[in-house]
Amino acid sequence: MPRPEINWITFSIDGREVKAPENAMLVDAAKYGDVEIPVFCYEPKLGQPVGACRMCLVEIEGIPKLQTGCSTPVKDGMVVHTQTERVHDAQRAVVEFLLINHPLDCPVCDKGGECPLQDITYGWGPGTSRYIEPKRHFVKPLELSPLIAIDRERCILCYRCVRFSQEISEDYQLILNERGAHSFVATFDGHPYVAPFTGNIVELCPVGALISRSYRFRARPWDIEGAGTVCTLCPSQCNVDLTVRDDRVLRVSARDNDEVDDGWLCDKGRFAFQHIHVDERITEPLMRQDGKLVPVDWDTALTAAAQALGEAGPRAAAIADGETTNEEAFLLQRLFRERLDCGNLSARPGGDLPLPLARGLADPALQATVPDLEFAHAVLLLDCDPIDDAPIFDLRLRKGVRRRDMNLVVASARPTALDANATTVLRHAPGTAEALLVALDAALSDDRGNLGGAASAAGSSAQAVQDLLEDLTSAGGDIVILYSERLFGGPRGPQAAEALLNVANRLNLTGEGAGLLEIPIGANGRGVREAGFAATHGPGFAPVANPGLATHGIAEALAEGQLSTLYLLHTDPLRHMSDGELWERALSSAQTVIAHESLMTETVATHADIVFPGEAYAEKEGTLVHPDGRVQRLRRAIGHPTPFNRHPGSGVRAGWQVISDLAKLLGLDFGVFAGSMASQQLFAAVPFFNGLTLDEIGGRGVRWPAREAARLAFGETSREPVALDVPPAAAVPSEDALRVGTFRPLWSSKEVDVSPILQYARPTQVVELSPVDAERFGVADGDKVEVGVNGTQVQGAAKLRHAVPEGTVFVAEGLSDASSSLFNYGTVQLRRLGGSAEESPINPIIGMPAIGESPFNPPRHELRESPPGTAPRMNE
Amino acid sequence: MSTLLFYDEIDKPGLASLSTYHDIGGYSMLRKALDMEPQAIIEQLLASNVRGRGGAGFAMGRKASFLPKGDMDKYLVCNADESEPGTFKDRELMQKNPHLLIEGMAIASYAIGASRAYIFIRGEYMHQADVLDAAIAEAREAGFLGDRVMGSDYSLELWVHRGAGAYICGEETALLDALEGKRGNPRLKPPFPAIEGLYQGPTLINNVETLMNVPHILRMGGEKFAEIGTSGSTGTKVVCVSGCVRRPGNYEVELGTPTRDIIYGLAGGPPEGRKIKCWFPGGSSAPVLPGTDEYMDLPFDFESIAEAGSMLGSAAIIIVDDSVPIVDVALKTAKFYRHESCGKCTPCREGTNWTVKMLERIENGQATPMDLDIMASVCDQILGNCLCVLGDAMAMPISSMIKHFREEFEEHIEMARERNGLGAAIPVMNRDERGPDRSAEYSAVGH
Ligand SMILES: Cc1cc2nc3c(=O)[nH]c(=O)nc-3n(C[C@H](O)[C@H](O)[C@H](O)COP(=O)(O)O)c2cc1C
Ligand code: SF4
Ligand code: SF4
Ligand code: SF4
Ligand code: FES
Repeated sequence: MPRPEINWITFSIDGREVKAPENAMLVDAAKYGDVEIPVFCYEPKLGQPVGACRMCLVEIEGIPKLQTGCSTPVKDGMVVHTQTERVHDAQRAVVEFLLINHPLDCPVCDKGGECPLQDITYGWGPGTSRYIEPKRHFVKPLELSPLIAIDRERCILCYRCVRFSQEISEDYQLILNERGAHSFVATFDGHPYVAPFTGNIVELCPVGALISRSYRFRARPWDIEGAGTVCTLCPSQCNVDLTVRDDRVLRVSARDNDEVDDGWLCDKGRFAFQHIHVDERITEPLMRQDGKLVPVDWDTALTAAAQALGEAGPRAAAIADGETTNEEAFLLQRLFRERLDCGNLSARPGGDLPLPLARGLADPALQATVPDLEFAHAVLLLDCDPIDDAPIFDLRLRKGVRRRDMNLVVASARPTALDANATTVLRHAPGTAEALLVALDAALSDDRGNLGGAASAAGSSAQAVQDLLEDLTSAGGDIVILYSERLFGGPRGPQAAEALLNVANRLNLTGEGAGLLEIPIGANGRGVREAGFAATHGPGFAPVANPGLATHGIAEALAEGQLSTLYLLHTDPLRHMSDGELWERALSSAQTVIAHESLMTETVATHADIVFPGEAYAEKEGTLVHPDGRVQRLRRAIGHPTPFNRHPGSGVRAGWQVISDLAKLLGLDFGVFAGSMASQQLFAAVPFFNGLTLDEIGGRGVRWPAREAARLAFGETSREPVALDVPPAAAVPSEDALRVGTFRPLWSSKEVDVSPILQYARPTQVVELSPVDAERFGVADGDKVEVGVNGTQVQGAAKLRHAVPEGTVFVAEGLSDASSSLFNYGTVQLRRLGGSAEESPINPIIGMPAIGESPFNPPRHELRESPPGTAPRMNE
Repeated sequence: MSTLLFYDEIDKPGLASLSTYHDIGGYSMLRKALDMEPQAIIEQLLASNVRGRGGAGFAMGRKASFLPKGDMDKYLVCNADESEPGTFKDRELMQKNPHLLIEGMAIASYAIGASRAYIFIRGEYMHQADVLDAAIAEAREAGFLGDRVMGSDYSLELWVHRGAGAYICGEETALLDALEGKRGNPRLKPPFPAIEGLYQGPTLINNVETLMNVPHILRMGGEKFAEIGTSGSTGTKVVCVSGCVRRPGNYEVELGTPTRDIIYGLAGGPPEGRKIKCWFPGGSSAPVLPGTDEYMDLPFDFESIAEAGSMLGSAAIIIVDDSVPIVDVALKTAKFYRHESCGKCTPCREGTNWTVKMLERIENGQATPMDLDIMASVCDQILGNCLCVLGDAMAMPISSMIKHFREEFEEHIEMARERNGLGAAIPVMNRDERGPDRSAEYSAVGH
C-alpha cells in the first residue's frame, strides 16, 4: 500500500510563516516553527486524538471558539495564535483545573523532575490556585499488577493508559470506572492488569500515577543517565533507553524507532533487565575441579580452553544464540575455521539450510520490512505467533488491521493471539506448515493434484487453502509472509524452504512493500548466521570447502564420542534444542564443555567444565542484525561486573576480547584491540556489509538489503519455481492418541527466570486442549495431566482453549525445567493425574490490594546472600 | 387558534395502535415518500426549514444533506434519551403516538439511504420502550418495516435500544458510542456523525419530535410548513412547562407565540401571590431569564430567546418563583451536571465539581462574597473550552444566576454565615481542611 505522501504547506503561527506537512496536527505543525503547544492526552502513537485534556487550545482566525491543536489538521494559509490573552487564559484554566484534585506531592513522587504535569504547570500554569475545598481521595498506592503501582490521586484522567489497553495492545482490560470527578482507572472487576505489554502505560502516563514497581523510589532524574542500546531478549530487537544510576541499570524505556518497534516494549524487555544485577550473574572465570565449579583467573581458564580446543581440532564444535553479537560470532567462526580447521558451527536449533537456500531466503529483493507489516495489503502469518516469538510484531499487525485495513491471514497449527483480527484463519496439523506451503504453491500454479494431496497432508482441505489464498491476494500485490525459523526445523527443512521460495516467487514478492520476514529463534539469529556462523556457509553466505555438522549432527557426534570439545556461546542446548534427551547424553559425553554465559543456569552448573563469564546486553558493544536486515548497534551502558574484592580485569570481559585472547593462545592474532575493530573486520568480510561504519549505523540502524552493496553482492537474482513433492501426511489422531504441537512462551527465558519482579510470569508447563477432548478424557481446566509417547512424558496443568482443534494438544517448550523440547511432531497419549494443580497466582481477584498486602505478591526469588558491593536485590 | 400538528388528536383513544393510526391516514406519507426520489424528500425538508427539537436547533434538512450519497452502510438514529431536567415531551409523544415516529423515521431513512435505524431511548422510559417495541412489531407485520417496505425495493430494520441511565448519552456522539456498546463518552468532532457516525458509517441523528415532523412536512409540503411559526423558527413546538406554575404540562404552540401566553395563559402562571423570579426557557442548560415584563413579552422562538441571552434548547420552560432561594436552584442545577459529567475533559469534570463545592460552602455558611467571583470565573473557564457542551450547560445557567441575582447570593452568604455563627464575612478555609482550630492561641479575628 502506498505510504501517505507529504505535501508541504505554509501557515502562520504567532505571526510567523511556517512550512509544515499538510494535515499534520497543529501541535506537531507548530514545532516546525519552534512553537510549543502543551499537551497531555495527545500521543500520536495511540492513534486518533481524543481531545480530552483541553490543554492544547489555540486560537484560529475565522473560528470563533478556541480549538484543540492536537486534533486540528493544519491547512495552507491557516492563521494560528498561541500567545493571545484568550489562549493564555484557557491554558491557565486547564492547569488550575487539573491541579485542584492533584495531591501536589512532587517531592515524593517518582515522576518528579521528568513529569509533563510539572513542566506544563511551570510553563503555562497560573502559579497559584484558588481552590480551598477538600480534594478527592483514593486509597493509594494500589497494586495495578505485579509490575505497576497506581496512585489514583495523581491521575489526570488523560485516557492514555486506557487507550493503550483498548486500542494498541487490545487486551481490553483497563477501563475508566465511574464518571465525572469520580472517574478512576481500573480493570473491570479489579483483577490485576496482567498482559504482555502493560509496562508501556507507565511510560505513557504524563504524571506519577502509574509507576513501575521496579523503579519506585529507586532514583530521581538528577541521579540518572540514559544510555541507548538494543534489547536482545528476543528477535524483535526493540530500541531501548537504559536508565543508569551508579553503573547499574534501573529501568528500561522505549527509544522510539518507528522502523523497528513503533515506540513500544514488551514486559519482558522492560522488566527482565533485572537479570543484569542478580546473584546468578557469573562474574569470574570458573573451572570444574573435583566435580565443582571453582573460580580461577582468566589465564588459567583461557589456557585450559585453548588446550582443549587445540587438542580437539576438527573434533570441536560451537553453538551460539541469544545475545551473541555479529562480531562475536564472526570471530569465533574465524577461530574455528582458520585455526581448528573445523566447521561444526551452528546457530539454528533446527539445523542449517544448504547454502543456495540460505542465500535465496536472504535475497535483498525478497526482504520485507517491519513497517511493511502495517502497510501491506495482506500479511500471511505462517505457523507462528508473534506474541510469543517476537511480541512487538504482534502490535504492528494489530495496527495494520486497525488503522490501515490490512488483511491479516492466519495459517497456523496453534491458535494465535491474532486470530480475532484475521480475515481468515486456517488451522493445519502441527508440523505441517511445509505441506500447507506446497498446497499454496499448487493452488497458485493450478496443480489440482498436488493441491488436494498437500492440503490433506496438512490436515486441511483444498477449499480452505483456496479461500485463504483468495483473502491473501484479493486486496493487492503488497503481500508479506511472516514466518518463524521453526518452519525449517527437522529433516525436511530444505524442502520447506524450497516451498516457501516457490510461493514467494509465484506471489511475486520481490516488489517494494512485499516480501518475506523470518522470525529467527535466537534474538540475533539472523546476524549470527550472516557473520558466517553456520555449518553450511561462511561470512556473507560465502561457500565453504568443508561444511560442518549442524546442531543435531553435533549432538549425535558428541554422544557417540566423535567430537570432544563443545563451545557454547550464550546458549543452553538442553533448553532450546529439540531432543533434550540426546543433548543430555551429548553434554555428558563431551570431554570439555566451554560455556560462555552470563547467568548460572542448570546446564552450566551441571555440564560446563570451563566457564567464561559473559556480558549482559547492557555491557556489550557490537552489532546485531534485525530480522528485517537492519544492522543495529549495541552500545555499552554500564561497566563489566567484577567479583567482590578482586582486582579490575578479573571480572567479566568483552566477548570479542575473550575470543581474541583465546585465538592468540592458539596462535591466531586477529589484531583486534577494541570492539570497533572487530566490527570493521566483520564489515570488510561480509560483502553486503562492505563500507558500513558504526557511525552510519548510529542509533537508528541501517537496513543492509536496501544498500547498494547488497545489490552488488547478490546481483540480479532470479529463481524459477521448482517441482515440489507432497510431504508425508500429518499423524491422524485416534481414540486415545492426540496430535501434539509445541510452542515457546514469551516468558521462557533465562532472564525472566532470575528477574525477581517477573516471577509471577515464569511459565510452567501447560497442556492446551480443546474442551471436547477434555470431556472425553474427563479432564477439567487446571487438572494435572500427563502427555507422552514411548516413555517420554510431560506433566502440566490442563488448559482448556476453545480454539484448539479437536484431537490436538499443545505443550510449551523452552521451559527451565526439563519438560521441554521432548516431542517431534506425532501423536501422544494423555492421562489425567489429579485435580486442579496449584492455583495460579494471577487468577482474577476482586478489588485491588494495597502494595505489600497482595495475596499474589511475586514470590521472592531465592537469592544467595550477596556480599556488599555485588549485585543488589531488586525486590520491592 | 394556532396550528396543532401533534396535539389535535394526541388523546384519541387507541392512537398508539396501528389500526387507529392507519384510519386517520397514517403511513400514507411513507407510501408517498417511497414513490419520490430520496433527494426530493430532502428538498422538502430543506424547504420546511424545520430545526432540530433536541437542543441545538440545527436545520434538519441541512444536516440530512451533509450525508454522502451513494451505496454504503448509513444509519438513522432517533435520540429519545430525553434526560434534560424539565423536558418530558418526547415521552408523551412516543407513548401516545408511536407510529408517527416510526413513519417519520422510515421516511427519513429512505431519504438518506439508510437501511438500519435505531431509537436510543432513555432507560427509565420502560413503558414507552414497550409501546415502541409493540408498535414496531405491528408495523413490521404490516409491511411498513422490514424487507421491501410496502412492496417497494427499499428495506429497513428498526430497533429500540434502551439506555442505561446517563444524561450524557443524549449527546449525539456519546449516544453513538453507547449504541456501539462502549462507555458513553462524547467523541471529538469533526468528524461529525453525518460523515462518520455509528460504526463509522454516515449517520443522521435527530430528536423524536424533529422526526415526527417529517410526515407532516411531506403532507403539507415544505413551503406550506414553513408558513407556520416565524421565518427563522418554523412549525410548532411542544413546550414542557414545569416548576412554580398552576398547570404544568406539555403544550403545543406555534413558534413565535408570546412567552406570556404560554406561561400565564396555557400554564396558568405562578401560584396565587407569588411572582416569577426567573425562568429557564429551554431546559436546565439554558441561562435563566428574569420574570420581568420585558422577558415575558418575548416571542417564544429560537432567535428571540437567543437575542435575550438564553436559548430555546429543548423548549422546556422551568419557572422559579420568589419563594425559592436562587442558591438552591444553582446548587440543584450544578449538582445535576456534576453527577452527569462523563469526566472525559478537564474543564467540565473539575469545574462542575468545584462549583458544587463552592455552592455547598455558601449553603453551609462558610463562604464569602469573594467566592462568587471565583465561581463566576470558574464558569468562565469552562465555557467554550470543553469537549462537548455539557460543561457549558452548567456554566451558562450558573453564571446567569450570578449575573442576575448577585445581591441575593450575597445576602444568602451573610445569612448562612450568621446561622453558622461565623460572623461577618472574611475569607476562611474549609474547617475540615484547616486542621485543628487553633484560633484561641492567637488574638482571634472573630471567625
Ligand atoms: C449533554 C447533552 C445532552 C443531550 N441530550 C439530548 C436528548 O436527551 N435528546 C435529544 O434529542 N438531544 C439531546 N442533545 C442534543 C443532541 O446532541 C443532538 O444535538 C440532537 O439529538 C440532534 O437532534 P435534533 O437536530 O433533532 O435536535 C443533548 C446534547 C447534549 C450536549
Ligand atoms: S493513570 Fe496516567 S495515563 Fe492513565 S489516565 Fe491517569 S494520568 Fe492518564
Ligand atoms: S519485544 Fe523483545 S526486543 Fe522488544 S522489549 Fe520485548 S523482549 Fe525486548
Ligand atoms: S464537557 Fe463534560 S460531559 Fe462533555 S466530554 Fe467533557 S467531561 Fe464529558
Ligand atoms: S492534548 Fe489536545 S485535548 Fe489533550
